[in-house]
Amino acid sequence: MEKETARSRIDRYLPYLLVLPTFAFVSLFTVWPTLSALYRSFFQQRLNIAKFRTPTFIGLGNYADIFSDPHFHRVLGNTLFYIIGTVPLSILLGFLFAMLVNRKVRNVGLARLAFFHTTILPMVSAATVWMFFFTPGYGLFNTALAALGYSGPQNWTGSPDLALLAVMIVAIWKNAGYYMIFYLAGLQNLPTPLYEAAGLDGANWWQKIWSLTLPLLRRTTLFITTIAFIDAFRTIDHIFVLTSGGPSEASTVLLYYLWQKRFEQLDIGLSSALTVILILVLLVFTITNFRVSEKGEEDV
Amino acid sequence: MTLRKLSALALLVLLLTGMLAACAPKEEAGPVTIQVYYPVAVDAPIAAIFDGYIEKFQEQNPNITVEAVYSGGYGDVKTAIQTTIDGGGEPPALAVMLATDLYDLVNAGYILALDDYIAADEDGAAYMQDFIASFMENSHYDGKTWSIPFQRSAVLMYYNADFFAEAGLEPPDSWAAWGEAGQALTQKDSDEVTRWGIEFPSGWPYWLFQPLAIGNGQNIIGEGDAEVYFDDPKVIEAVQFYIDLSEKYGAMAAGVQSIWGQAPTDLASGQTAMIVHSSGSLNTLLEQADFEVGVMPLPGKTAGTYASVPGGGNLYLFDNIDKVKQDAAWKFIRFLSEPERAADFSIQSGYFASCKGAYETEVMKAYMADNPQVAQARAALDVAGAEFSVQNLGEVRGIFHNYLQQAYNGELSAAEAMAAAQAEADAAMEAFK
Repeated sequence: MEKETARSRIDRYLPYLLVLPTFAFVSLFTVWPTLSALYRSFFQQRLNIAKFRTPTFIGLGNYADIFSDPHFHRVLGNTLFYIIGTVPLSILLGFLFAMLVNRKVRNVGLARLAFFHTTILPMVSAATVWMFFFTPGYGLFNTALAALGYSGPQNWTGSPDLALLAVMIVAIWKNAGYYMIFYLAGLQNLPTPLYEAAGLDGANWWQKIWSLTLPLLRRTTLFITTIAFIDAFRTIDHIFVLTSGGPSEASTVLLYYLWQKRFEQLDIGLSSALTVILILVLLVFTITNFRVSEKGEEDV
Repeated sequence: MTLRKLSALALLVLLLTGMLAACAPKEEAGPVTIQVYYPVAVDAPIAAIFDGYIEKFQEQNPNITVEAVYSGGYGDVKTAIQTTIDGGGEPPALAVMLATDLYDLVNAGYILALDDYIAADEDGAAYMQDFIASFMENSHYDGKTWSIPFQRSAVLMYYNADFFAEAGLEPPDSWAAWGEAGQALTQKDSDEVTRWGIEFPSGWPYWLFQPLAIGNGQNIIGEGDAEVYFDDPKVIEAVQFYIDLSEKYGAMAAGVQSIWGQAPTDLASGQTAMIVHSSGSLNTLLEQADFEVGVMPLPGKTAGTYASVPGGGNLYLFDNIDKVKQDAAWKFIRFLSEPERAADFSIQSGYFASCKGAYETEVMKAYMADNPQVAQARAALDVAGAEFSVQNLGEVRGIFHNYLQQAYNGELSAAEAMAAAQAEADAAMEAFK
């Protein structure tokens, strides 16, 4: 009897004990900074202006400033365009690459490596290489486009119409291979009997993809969409290298703007408010994404 | 517990106490370790050069250990230090940061004024006098001296002297002559440009632009720490001249050029006849080019006038650390700016030597005799104005970049862009007026 109680006591506390390390890390590195940013976002504090160095409470003043600033509207527009332009396309490419290399043909390993190698490169190195690709005149990218008959403007990183597109191209190129790996793993776990049965039922290639592969890979897609979305907000290394957010803010996205406010302009209050906005956007998306996907699961 | 066990325990305690006592630091001439944050360019062997100096310094000062922390660029060093301080950590004793960071660093209370050290130094006054005047432009604020020039550069024009000779052209001595030379040296194959007359990077544009404004008789900043002259007619004219280089003369590609990294290679490989770039690229160009590289300041508007602007990093001493560390750091600053060392640093790295004394040393004289371009580059400092540094620099510079690039890209006229820049900049500096 006594032994039983000890046992159940362990059972009761063991789970807490096991999550304790994770809990400690998350609290320290996620929850605490988030709360601290939220708190600081209600204060005006500028490190480089002596009279604003000590924080003064201004309520929602920072948020009001942000939302009435035309630069922020521009940045928000850029961010939206960047995400809509990169996330779906790189996921689609990742899926196509995975379909392509999920076959038993010769040298498929080489093809997998070719698609995947961009993931291993550090973003800064990749962007530096792309800087040379983008060089007007003799750059590889422009030469390749010219060979395909393109004769438009070549100043990819300097033109206000092309700069954002240029950093998006690099992001898609860099990420598609990464998403391919998840889809490839998913594809290889699909049950073959299902496909054989579908084949007997006379389903064609497209029907198999649409009615079997895609629904079966729903969880993979959910996972990839989430990380792709977060990554699109998070990765700005290539913007530093290629355009510095320019020309004239044409390629400034939310996190880059936040970095400028915090580290170039030393504006603690405003950058904290921007952090809170960023976190809220990510939170809303992630939750919606999970909800929508769970709902879909019930429908199946 | 038995007696034996007890005595063993006592012995252990005794031993431990003895060891601790032996480890306790001695009061006199205590060893001190200082950290130096240092930005390193990706392709330069500067870390190795700097390590060499540290080794020599430690030989001379056995009780001081210098730890160099090398990281990315100037921005990364500043960010790392800010994060450390704001997080409650201890800053390094010393760092190399941009000369133009002065106001931000003072206002944030990060750095220490050097006046007490200079006053206490027996030849402090002579030491300060020896620095090249234009390198000290961004070291004074609030009646105090805050930084020591170290890794300094300037904006120069490099040209392919062979192309000029082939075309029978002289190096330009005015804006008009510059544009015309660029036009004459631009080569086309049907419609395709095979060689540009001029490459003038503008991805991060204020620095290379400044000599244009200075060369027209009006720098973009004034004497005050919250004073800019973006909408001055002479500055607007300078913006227009940049646009004219492509629009009127066809000597340069149109619009913003994010080609900082490629420009020196393009000159060395004959893709362009002239580039505007940092003096820091001189060594690379001399190594790579198989033609005679010409070096000069940028031509001014009127014939016979020239202009340049200094750039680069200074040594800053940090506040809120042990005095012992600050003393050691000052010693290291003095060590780094000895004329022989400054000369050696200049020869090895391609940066300017920060003091006049360095240019009087035998090694430097010999080096300049072999490489006349080094003296030509040095001469640009005589026509240099002050680099863009004002209160709230990050924001004001961002505003200037934004509108300057809009003008370069033809989204706004030069006059419209500069008027808007002036208004926004004045608002951003309101707190300092």
